[in-house]
Amino acid sequence: MSDTRASAYADAALAIASAEGNVAEVTDELFRFGQIVQGNEELRTTLNDPHLPVEKRSQIVEDVLGGRATSTTVSFVSMLVAAGRIHDLPAIAEEVTNRSAASSGETVAEVRSAVALTDAQIAQLAEALSARTNRAITVRNVVDPSVLGGVVTRIGDSVLDGTVRTRLNQLREAF
Amino acid sequence: MSLLTILASEAPNGPWLPGDLNEVIWGSLAFLIVFALLWKFAKAPVAKALAGRTQRIADELGEAEQARVAAEAERDRIKAALADSDAEAARIIEDARQSADSLRTDLAARAEAEIVALRERAESDLATTRSQAEADLSGEVSRLALGATEQVVQSTLDDSAQQRLIDDYIRQVGNQN
Repeated sequence: MSDTRASAYADAALAIASAEGNVAEVTDELFRFGQIVQGNEELRTTLNDPHLPVEKRSQIVEDVLGGRATSTTVSFVSMLVAAGRIHDLPAIAEEVTNRSAASSGETVAEVRSAVALTDAQIAQLAEALSARTNRAITVRNVVDPSVLGGVVTRIGDSVLDGTVRTRLNQLREAF
Repeated sequence: MSLLTILASEAPNGPWLPGDLNEVIWGSLAFLIVFALLWKFAKAPVAKALAGRTQRIADELGEAEQARVAAEAERDRIKAALADSDAEAARIIEDARQSADSLRTDLAARAEAEIVALRERAESDLATTRSQAEADLSGEVSRLALGATEQVVQSTLDDSAQQRLIDDYIRQVGNQN
């Protein structure tokens, strides 16, 4: 997906969320659902299957998100499904997250870990990263079992890698 | 002739002459007549026949001589040719022997060179194979060791270990400020 298109969809999502007054919730929900879509090929393929009626695919979205996300998020994701752009959701969600954070003077840190960080760990890590970068940091946690253990944080082009996977790779290269 | 025979048989003959002299005379006369007739009429053909025979014999002798000379010449030519062919055969044999010697020498040198090259290549291949095998073995050992390590790590990474790793990471990020 082009950056221009992702940017346009992100603008639309933020405009709707802003109008509904739930930017933070929508941003968080889009980020989380974007990670789910990115990590679940079957869901991604199903939601993008042109042979399934749009109503059927939208119903799947509502079944997955209903009661666990705002109606703004559900509607926006349903619109992406109808437009055949659900595979662009991770990029759009990242753009929404970055813009949302930037609008509040914060920088997004993508934190990948094998298990989900607790709210306390997210707060501690955000504080540590803010002190390290002298910027307000918003942590977005992505559960990625491939890292095996530990955490890797990406802030823009900077990466702080403390994963077991990377240590094993370093060990493999050392042989 | 039959008349002379009749006349001669009319008287007894002596030891040297017939008994009747007339018989002698007539016989001699008849002889002379026959001789004259023969001399007159048969001499030339006989002489001619003899001369022809002589000439024919002489011609045949000449032809025989020519044939002999030709045969000797042919013999000499054949002998010379045989001598030449012997020399040619000897030369061909010598050339063949030299070619064979040269070919044997070349083949031996080439075979030796090929043996050396093969030996060097075999040694090189062996060294390469050995180093490759060592590298493969090392890589395989490393892969197995890392695989085992990864399995051990995965099996030991329970929730408490995960939390400890995350807390350590957060602490390290904080300490690096």
